[in-house]
Formats: sequence, structure tokens, C-alpha cells
Amino acid sequence: MAATTETRRDVLLEAMVRVVGRKGYEATSVADVIEEAGTSRTTFYKHFDDKHDCFLAAYDMVVERVFATVVAECDGEQPWLSRVRKGLATLIGIFAREPELAQTAVVEVAVAGAEARQRHWDAVTRFTGYLEDGREELDPGGELPKHISVMATGAVSGLIFDELVAGRAAQLPSLMPDLVFAMLVPFIGPAAATEEMRRAVQAT
Amino acid sequence: MARSQRDRLLDAAVDVVAEKGYGATTVADLTKAAGVSRTTFYELFEDKEACFLAAYDMAADVLARRVAAAFDTQEAWPDRVRAGLIVLLESLAVEPQIARLALVDVGSAGPRAQRRYRAALQRMTPFFDEGRDFAAAGRRLPANTSRMVIGAVTGLVADEIEAGRAERLPDLLPEILFATLVPYVGPKAAAKEAGER
Repeated sequence: MAATTETRRDVLLEAMVRVVGRKGYEATSVADVIEEAGTSRTTFYKHFDDKHDCFLAAYDMVVERVFATVVAECDGEQPWLSRVRKGLATLIGIFAREPELAQTAVVEVAVAGAEARQRHWDAVTRFTGYLEDGREELDPGGELPKHISVMATGAVSGLIFDELVAGRAAQLPSLMPDLVFAMLVPFIGPAAATEEMRRAVQAT
Repeated sequence: MARSQRDRLLDAAVDVVAEKGYGATTVADLTKAAGVSRTTFYELFEDKEACFLAAYDMAADVLARRVAAAFDTQEAWPDRVRAGLIVLLESLAVEPQIARLALVDVGSAGPRAQRRYRAALQRMTPFFDEGRDFAAAGRRLPANTSRMVIGAVTGLVADEIEAGRAERLPDLLPEILFATLVPYVGPKAAAKEAGER
């Protein structure tokens, strides 16, 4: 019984991610979500207070799933540069395969209120935490700027955001070389970042 | 007369949205803060979104013109970038509510506002494209380099504004200058420029 309840909740969360990705957060109604999920209105309100509550839970689920996949693909034994390249490729692969998820997680989350933005910010901060490991490996002298990871993430997420807003999620993998360059150039400079960009091309 | 009412509504949009957030702001909030009637509001704007977008355009235009003017006071490209960034960061620090509107709230105001915001950022690319001519290997850089640099700057600046630290943005000039120059001139030269005052 408990398993069924849990499953229904998950089905509703998945439905929320898809509907918001297609229609946008503002235009999405509870009716849309239960229709997509094939559940009753009663089931929806058994699990969630309202659309906003369900969206937050759906966003948390997406973040956990994306992190689990990206971390699983990044062997901790590899050098930082390889981990960053591999992690970025995994993330872009998820976004390209699931454009509705990408739209919900990157674009629509900004529209869904202050609490949603705070969770998005926490997720991005977790991501920049992984980048911070680069400091010890690359910069034992500690000369890199304090906010370098935030700026590198901003460069990458700006490019991704523009592609998603333009409806080009499926074409994101072709942007991989540029994304690798954007992520690495503040850490290692243009000559080495161009070299890593070439490796990213060869890997695809 | 009609113009001053419009200006009052634009100012109200800046203030109210900064305080309540875009989603929670109503037309009634705007008319109350501006001291104009609901009828006047709908004579001037179709809806809340139209009023907000007009306020955003005004803020973005003012910022872009100030940055462009500062940029043009200098000759060498790194000096031009530094002058533009100084004016940008100081403007945002002096007017934290405008800063919020132009870099944080615009992202929360729906798809039209988001597209408007991204288009406004695209208009900043020529400032950085000059770096491709300035740097020895500039022509070999990815075509998107200027957009990356803009993303790096706005990512950090928006974070600081959201955290309530807009007035301390000028302190971040060395770091932001480093991040904007490094793709073009490399870490050594970027660090040197960032260290100069």
C-alpha cells in the first residue's frame, strides 16, 4: 500500500516537471498535472497543498536525480579537469534528452517565487562546490579570485539559459566545446582551455 | 501631465517589485504607490507586465548608456572595460532597487521579461568583442566568448544583489575585471590589470 502511495506521488512529480516544461509555471494548473499523471484530484491534494507545493517537491526531485547522475559519472580518482569535462557532458546530455526537465529546472524555476529561487540558488551553490576542488589542484598559491567558481558557473548557465529560451535544448551538445571553454578559462587561461575544448570535441 | 503620471508608475513598479517581488505585486499596489487612479493606469499600460517591462527598459537603458559613456572615455581596451565596470558596479551600489529590478526580478517576471533581459545582455557583447582584436590570439577564441564573460559578470552580480550586498559590489571590481579579461589576455595579464587601480 505504502509503495503505491509513494509511486503515485512520484508520478505526480514527474507530471509536474513535464507540464511546467511545456506550458510554463504560470500557465500550469493542478488540473493539467493530474491529467498528465492520470491520477485524481483527491490523490493530488493528499500529497500536496497546492501547485506551488508540488512544484517545489518536483524541483527537489529533479535536483537530486541530476546530481546523482552527474556524480556517478565523475570518478573521484580522475584529475579535476577530466571530472569537470565529464560532469558537464553528463549534465548537458540530461538536458538534451529531457528538454522539459531542462526548461523546468533552469528557466521556469526563476518564475515560481522566492522559495523556488532560493532552492535553485542552493542547487547552483552545490554545483560550484565541486568546481572549488579545482583550487587545490590548480592553484596551490591561492591567487585565483575568491568568486571564481560563481563566475565560471554564471558563464556556463548564461549560455545554457539562452539556448533553452530559444527552444534549442536538443542542440545543447553541439555547444559542449564552448561550455568547456567557458567553465575552465578563468581557472587555466585561454591557451589551456582551448586545448580542453579540443578534447571535448574528440570525446563526442 | 500624462508623462509625469507614467513616470510615477514606473518608479512605483521599481519600488513595489523590489519590496514584494513581481508575483505578489498587483496593479492596485502600483496605483496606490504612484498616487494615480486605476483608470489612468489602464490608459497608460495594458497590464502589470507592460508596466514592469517599461520600468525594466528604462533601468536597462540608463545603465547601458552610463556604461557606454564610461567605456568611451578610455583608449586601450582593458582600460575601457575597467571604466565601464566601475560605472556599472557603482550605479548598482547607489541604486540597489534598480539593481534588483534589472538583474534579479526581471528573471522572475515571466517569459517575455526573460527574453527582454537576455536581449538586453546581448547588446553588451560589442564591449567585449573588441577584446578579440586587442588580444594576440583573440580571433581563435570561441565565437561565444563575449556572452560567456557577460554571464560570468551577471551571475556573480545577481547573486550579490539577491544576498542584499548590492552596496558592496564596487569591492568586487578586481575579481570581475580578472574574469572579464582572462579569456582574452590570459591569467598573468588579467591579474596584472586587476591589481592596478
